[in-house]
Amino acid sequence: MIAIQTEDVDIGNLIARAKQRGTGAIVVFDGIVRDDDIREMELEAYEEVAVPELEKIATEAKKTHNLLSVDIIHRIGRLAVGENILVIVVGAGHREQAYEGSRFIIEAIKAGVPIWKKELCKDGDRWVPGDHQHGCGTGK
Amino acid sequence: MTVKIRFFARFRELLGTDIVVEVPKNKGLLDLVKETAEKNKEGYDAIFDEKGAFREFVILMQNGKRLETSDAPKIMVADGDEIAVFPPVAGG
Repeated sequence: MIAIQTEDVDIGNLIARAKQRGTGAIVVFDGIVRDDDIREMELEAYEEVAVPELEKIATEAKKTHNLLSVDIIHRIGRLAVGENILVIVVGAGHREQAYEGSRFIIEAIKAGVPIWKKELCKDGDRWVPGDHQHGCGTGK
Repeated sequence: MTVKIRFFARFRELLGTDIVVEVPKNKGLLDLVKETAEKNKEGYDAIFDEKGAFREFVILMQNGKRLETSDAPKIMVADGDEIAVFPPVAGG
């Protein structure tokens, strides 16, 4: 399943569906809204481009890391501290493939998929500048 | 002909999005985005430098395909095009 959605993700269901006869390892990446002294986080996406790009990343990950299954669900909208932002579930025959495939996917998403985050802070809001610094105030 | 311009993230907040504009034939992409952004100085300054070129970090798409911003002056838009302009991505 590849999706961008406002709803939360049933991770247990994704894991259950990822299990196939040849599956020996499942790696779950769960990106969460961290408490960087923020009130909430707001996410937006260029969905018409982001979903095909996520599908392309999943296809490439399957091919290059010999994965049996890939699920990527990225949430948008307003999220509170502790909520899931991004869930990646990969299934493979062996742990090395699963770990490496999961890492490949998250790095590819951060590098190029058109999704943005805004941190809603107590003293104002700020757009997260790519894969760089997070947190309200300075020096974080 | 009509072209849709979509701004995202900070650019959207400053300039709006899903802006449909009527443009003449042989309209250049750079001029189109400039003219659309000129309605808000802060929005314009976020996208363009003092020489009127796209800032280094700005990402451009034409119908979902990325373009080099340096090519924008010579790229013409076509009827029904969707142009997207956005800052660096920050998903994940």
